[in-house]
Amino acid sequence: MVSIVTDSCSAITPELARKFGISVVPLYVQFGNEVYRDNVDLSTEEFYQKLEKSKITPTTSAPGPEVFAELFTGLAEETNEIVAIMFSQMLSGVYGAALQGKAMVTKDCRIEVIDSKLAISAQMLLVLSAARMARSGANLPQIVDWVRKAIPRIHIQMTFDTLEYLRKGGRIGKAQAFLGSLLKVNPVLTLKDGLVFPVARLRNRPKAIDYLVDFVRSFSRIEAIAIEDVTTPEDLEILAERLKGLVPPGDFYRSKVDPVVGVHVGPRVLAACVLEAE
Amino acid sequence: MRTDSASGPALKKMFALGTAWLEKAAPDINAINVFPIPDGDTGTNMLLTMRAAMGEANQNPSRSAWSVAKSMASGALMGARGNSGVILSQCWRGLAKGLEGKKSFNGTDFAKALAEASQAAYEGLVNPVEGTILTVLRDAATAADMAARTDSASLLSIMETATEAARDSVARTPDLLPVLRESGVVDAGGQGLYVLLDGALCYLKGKAKEIKYRKPRLVVSNLPLALKTTQLTTEVEVPYGYCTNFVLEGKKLDLQKVKTKLRKKGQSLIVTGNDSLVRVHIHSFKPGEILDYAMHLGTLHQVDIRNMDDQYVEFIKMQRERMPKVNIAIVAVVSGDGLFEVFNSLGSTIIVPGGQTMNPSVRQLLQALESAPSDNIILLPNNKNIIPTASQLGSLTSKRVMVVPTRTIPQGIAALLAFNYDLSLEDNVRSMEETIATVKTVEVTKAVRKTQLNRLKIKRGQFIAILNDEELIARSNNMTDLIFEALAKAEIERAEMVTIYYGAETKAIEAEEIAQEIRNRYQTEVEVLHGAQPHYNYIISLE
Repeated sequence: MVSIVTDSCSAITPELARKFGISVVPLYVQFGNEVYRDNVDLSTEEFYQKLEKSKITPTTSAPGPEVFAELFTGLAEETNEIVAIMFSQMLSGVYGAALQGKAMVTKDCRIEVIDSKLAISAQMLLVLSAARMARSGANLPQIVDWVRKAIPRIHIQMTFDTLEYLRKGGRIGKAQAFLGSLLKVNPVLTLKDGLVFPVARLRNRPKAIDYLVDFVRSFSRIEAIAIEDVTTPEDLEILAERLKGLVPPGDFYRSKVDPVVGVHVGPRVLAACVLEAE
Repeated sequence: MRTDSASGPALKKMFALGTAWLEKAAPDINAINVFPIPDGDTGTNMLLTMRAAMGEANQNPSRSAWSVAKSMASGALMGARGNSGVILSQCWRGLAKGLEGKKSFNGTDFAKALAEASQAAYEGLVNPVEGTILTVLRDAATAADMAARTDSASLLSIMETATEAARDSVARTPDLLPVLRESGVVDAGGQGLYVLLDGALCYLKGKAKEIKYRKPRLVVSNLPLALKTTQLTTEVEVPYGYCTNFVLEGKKLDLQKVKTKLRKKGQSLIVTGNDSLVRVHIHSFKPGEILDYAMHLGTLHQVDIRNMDDQYVEFIKMQRERMPKVNIAIVAVVSGDGLFEVFNSLGSTIIVPGGQTMNPSVRQLLQALESAPSDNIILLPNNKNIIPTASQLGSLTSKRVMVVPTRTIPQGIAALLAFNYDLSLEDNVRSMEETIATVKTVEVTKAVRKTQLNRLKIKRGQFIAILNDEELIARSNNMTDLIFEALAKAEIERAEMVTIYYGAETKAIEAEEIAQEIRNRYQTEVEVLHGAQPHYNYIISLE
């Protein structure tokens, strides 16, 4: 069976990872000298509690190639086909680390490292679908082909209360155009070619949530939906309620933004993501 | 004091009082100046011209009215400022001609002189426009002439008739000149002439002391207030370039030839004077060519060239440097420093200063379109009177320009917020148009005169509220009462978000208090911003 690998920025919860047999490589969050493995040593809730108390601004880092080399080598004991679906290389070095790690593997195993050009729940939808294919017996070329073709069919929109975290972390990209508004606005952003991209500005959070709902509903044929929050489970609940019935419950996923991505997007981000049917 | 006729010294005294009277009215006259350029200097220009005229006259000890009038004409010609000043100097030239040979003059002589003055004023202009000082002068002259034929030859009585006729004529100027009608004002130059005549009349009536502590009563138009909320359309003239003024001294100068030659070189051309001294006023993009030409004819004096583009060009330059090339540029018409910042912060690429009572010209808008860093442009007029002008622009530029017909500032902001970087020009315009329908606008201003509208009687100075720039919905002497009445009529209970932009002359604390009161009374978010807009105390957006 093909082994599916991803990184912790896919926001796949440990439960889902276990359920689908996905190997998740954690990135790191650092508060000064303290280093935490993303979603392993530190959950999103713990991270934000810590952030509130801490005077230190946290930083993030990607694991080195040796982490991937070790993981791939270990997996190669049981399989000869590995597909790694990584966080956008425009936003992190984790894809590069995986590629280098692959080169270090000496065992006879086919490894394909793919830049998803996505993040968080959008990346998660891709990873989960790949894992399902693997379970149903698809081989590496089939999965890789499917993943590459599926990337353009995945659409994500995220609403923010502030873009300050994105700006500070240097990952604001074209959404820079939304900075500096004198009016209070809730920006909605998307990912385009692996980068953050501005979509819309709403005057308050309820309107921003409406916007996400309309965004999801604008697709006539949906294969799967994923939604996620950072610190606002009540808003996630509202979103879930309003998107109910668009896909079978089994294709509707909820998750939480991981601490590493959380460092760069800040609290109160809410995202909705659609895998459009072929 | 004789009132049937006047000698040279009496002529001086008449218009010395007229000038003093004009001085008191100058700020108010400046305030209503909208034609040909709303630059608010008509009162000042006329006053400075009259001072120059009186300065010259005061150096002339002659008792002859003709001699004094000639001094005034030459002083006015040398000291003329601006359009209205130059026309006024023409008027004095005509008066002097009409008083030719007179040691003193009676009413009949004055009527004749006024007729000459009127003719001279018309001749000085390349494109005389009715509804201006020209019309007022002609109406005064016509009435004086009628009176001189039928009634008495007394100077006082003719002066009285002429002054009354001037006043009535000023009140009618908005009927003749659309720009005035749409701005709800009378002509500033005409107003100045009336005040001047009125001051001279006061002298003849022996009221010099009496009026010392009074101010002239200005003429107001009797137009309904609603028109004040609309305003000037842009077909006035191109208000930019160089305002070029000089005096040409030479021998055997041919005024007609100078006029014909310069006509094609600019706008607002005025050529006045005689065969040895000519004053030229012109708005042109190439003042050098004009000076070159004039230098062949004689010597130049009092050369004054002002760049009317300065501010605007500086602004465009700053914008262009700041903005990288974009797929779709947004050009918005906005006035008020705060609103400028709001539009700027929301991503307007180019902002054209303008709005209520100061619509940008076609050229100004075109200039903005041409300097926008994109070939695809969305234009937000933000005022219903700018929409027609904006809509014509597409045919005047090679760029693709689409107008989203925003009638108010809140609609413009809503449209701007709806802009999507990922959509095409057409799709953006469509989504912006949908968005502007979801915003309600309440504009609060002060009534400039008493009127009746929508069966509401409005007193001068009362606050009034207008919904969506078309419907007067409330009036009150109390600002808070007015705003809450207006908000109720605008169905504030259905709004999720209220944004208050307070004006240039409104206090922040008052705006904050109103915002807090709205939060107390309604379940809605309220945001307060200093729009610093002219004209409106408040612009309130309901979303």
